[in-house]
Amino acid sequence: MDFGFTKEESEFREELHNFLLKEVTEEVANECRQWRGPAAPAGPHTHELLLKLGAKGWLAPSWPKEYGGSGLPETYRFIVQEEMAYFGMRSPHAVNLAGPVILHHGSEEMKKKILPQCARGEIRFGLGYTEPQAGSDLAALEMRAAKDGDNYIINGQKTFNSHVHFADYHWLLVLTNPEAKPKHRGMSLFVVDLNSPGISINPIWTMGGERANEVFYDNVVVPAENLVGEENRGFYYIMEDLEYERTFPSSDVQYYLEEVIKCAKTVVRDGKPLISDPAVQQGIAELTTEIEVGRLLFYRLACMHRDKTPILFEGTISKVFVSELIQRIAMFGSDILGLYGQLQEGSKWAPLDGEIEHINRYSIIESIWGGTNEICRTVIATRALKMPVA
Amino acid sequence: MDFILNEQQEMLRSSAHQFLGDKCPIAFVRQMAADERGYSQEIWEEIANLGWLGLIFPEEYGGIDLDFLDLVILLEEMGRFCFPSPFISTVICGGLPVLWAGTEEQKKELLNKLASGKLLMTLAYTEPGTHYGSTINTRATEDKGNYIINGTKLFVPDANVADYLICAARTKGDVSDEQGITLFLVDRQSAGVEITGLKTTAEDKQCEVTFNQVKVPESNMLGECNQGWDLLQRVMEYAAVAKCAEMVGGAKQVLDMSVDYSKERVQFGHPIGSFQAVQHRCADMFINIDGMKFITYEAAWRLSQGLPSTKEVSMAKTWVSDAYQKVVRNAHQVHGGTGFTEDHDLPVYFKRAQTAKILFGDASYHRKIVASQLKL
Repeated sequence: MDFGFTKEESEFREELHNFLLKEVTEEVANECRQWRGPAAPAGPHTHELLLKLGAKGWLAPSWPKEYGGSGLPETYRFIVQEEMAYFGMRSPHAVNLAGPVILHHGSEEMKKKILPQCARGEIRFGLGYTEPQAGSDLAALEMRAAKDGDNYIINGQKTFNSHVHFADYHWLLVLTNPEAKPKHRGMSLFVVDLNSPGISINPIWTMGGERANEVFYDNVVVPAENLVGEENRGFYYIMEDLEYERTFPSSDVQYYLEEVIKCAKTVVRDGKPLISDPAVQQGIAELTTEIEVGRLLFYRLACMHRDKTPILFEGTISKVFVSELIQRIAMFGSDILGLYGQLQEGSKWAPLDGEIEHINRYSIIESIWGGTNEICRTVIATRALKMPVA
Repeated sequence: MDFILNEQQEMLRSSAHQFLGDKCPIAFVRQMAADERGYSQEIWEEIANLGWLGLIFPEEYGGIDLDFLDLVILLEEMGRFCFPSPFISTVICGGLPVLWAGTEEQKKELLNKLASGKLLMTLAYTEPGTHYGSTINTRATEDKGNYIINGTKLFVPDANVADYLICAARTKGDVSDEQGITLFLVDRQSAGVEITGLKTTAEDKQCEVTFNQVKVPESNMLGECNQGWDLLQRVMEYAAVAKCAEMVGGAKQVLDMSVDYSKERVQFGHPIGSFQAVQHRCADMFINIDGMKFITYEAAWRLSQGLPSTKEVSMAKTWVSDAYQKVVRNAHQVHGGTGFTEDHDLPVYFKRAQTAKILFGDASYHRKIVASQLKL
């Protein structure tokens, strides 16, 4: 057992950290503050920064060089995610979700065409899974793709799709064989150009202030070469890669904690700064500890990826832990601010310009998206503990 | 970076698991709770032969020179089986300060015997007015080449069987001064030492020890005069992590018991393990145990590597103390009424969880340390 990084890993991290310190300008920081959460798009300045990271081969450092990566061990992917998260940036879907599935299952043509653009940050994906009747029960989806010569014609509706209002591509899960039993045996994954005629997008505004979308497909024509891998294997591709994609650094929580501490040092109540309250110090110490636990769970996963150890639930564990930790810090930050905790960005007297007020609202979704924590706990119970299924 | 045991550590773990699984059923644990000495000298000598007692001591003192992380692996198995013994008292609270601060004579005199199972030790630190702080009322006054010790110590583990007690006494300064604390090796048989067993939740052998004009030769001073505080805090770090390791082992056992039970117990025509509420409690236990493991191993690794560890040790003790509570309480919920009966195994773990959470600093004590490390 060894909890240290290699010399190369430490040097890489230092280089990346210094780069980000320089490149995360006030504009970028403001965009990242404004657009927190999984639904958050990268603002224009942040997008520029992601392109710079992509140009350095840092967005997808562990992909093979022939597909735009740097061929580095998987631990580097985790280091990048951790560093980016500290500055408020999430790994793009193109890199963390769509890319890996294409890498593992896509045709050589698709890999050569799409992956380098993903690795450079040049193309952006929006996920297309959820439908009004298919959330946790993804197998209940109904959007259909019917084969028609060299194309597929796609009809149906998606909802709660984040990013599609600015993304280049839709990462779409649809029924290609509605007769299949069980249903998930008839599902396929497509890469759809969001500029295609027949796609219409309506905003859904979330309580966190971010935008998600309803997406309607009305006889949208998609070339057959946009099918990812094999027909009717889409659901399996997603499930296989789900543990691979569930990577959750706790460094954004570290950042929030630092903001809370800053706040606690300046906000004075009854003549004393909040930080002088032992209860506040206990809370800060507790969160510091939990951030470390989250970090250890994150790097445990990194080592498993690096060593190609089969991952059955460790990503899910990380997801449950960090999502609830984000909520805990939001609650703590909000609690210690008392009445000030309700002041929004732009309001007079708002501590940290409303940052904690915002996190408190947006973080509700953390235990719901990407697999609700209830589903996750069931996965842990059945896969890790082999508990009986009803 | 590596989160798994190496081959040697795996072997250590599995052999300890087998040994204790064989020698330490819960029936034996209960027997020792009722026993005056609280442990089996026969088993103690067996583990001495296995090298467990001298695991982290240098070969010249009868040890096998492995590191603290290796000891943590053993301690985890001891925790899994609730192994009743003066192991932490003797090896950590007694042996380590002697190793670090003893004179060559003291080390030669004590450590070899300790490693071979012929000497038990403990540390008398806590008092009525302090748990692990610096308010030491027990005084040691110099008197013609001896020190006279007066005071009361509480919650001294295994004092009833320890051959030597290391007593933290004040030699100068105000009652709460960190400077002015000195450690003394006190022979339990010395005149004026009185030991009373305390009746504790875990029925472990924690004692009140009163020192009434106890005369101790100057040569029994351990380390420098007035310099005992740093040594004391360092021992506490190792002891806290050792206790964390026990809690990790206990938690694993408790989870195994709960999952097994949930598969057997049938209600409403189904094993209760198929109910989501039960599954989710077990999933929470599993997540907590993963956290407990890694935060403990990280602290142990840092101590083994000689890296600054104060923050990590306190993070471990704080988190593990709280997490074990959650694990045990979830386990009780899963076990229902049957886990509440005195002759079920689960209460043995519950009781140890209550003790372990406080020994060597409870969660809020250690959070204070973390906060101070953050320089808030």
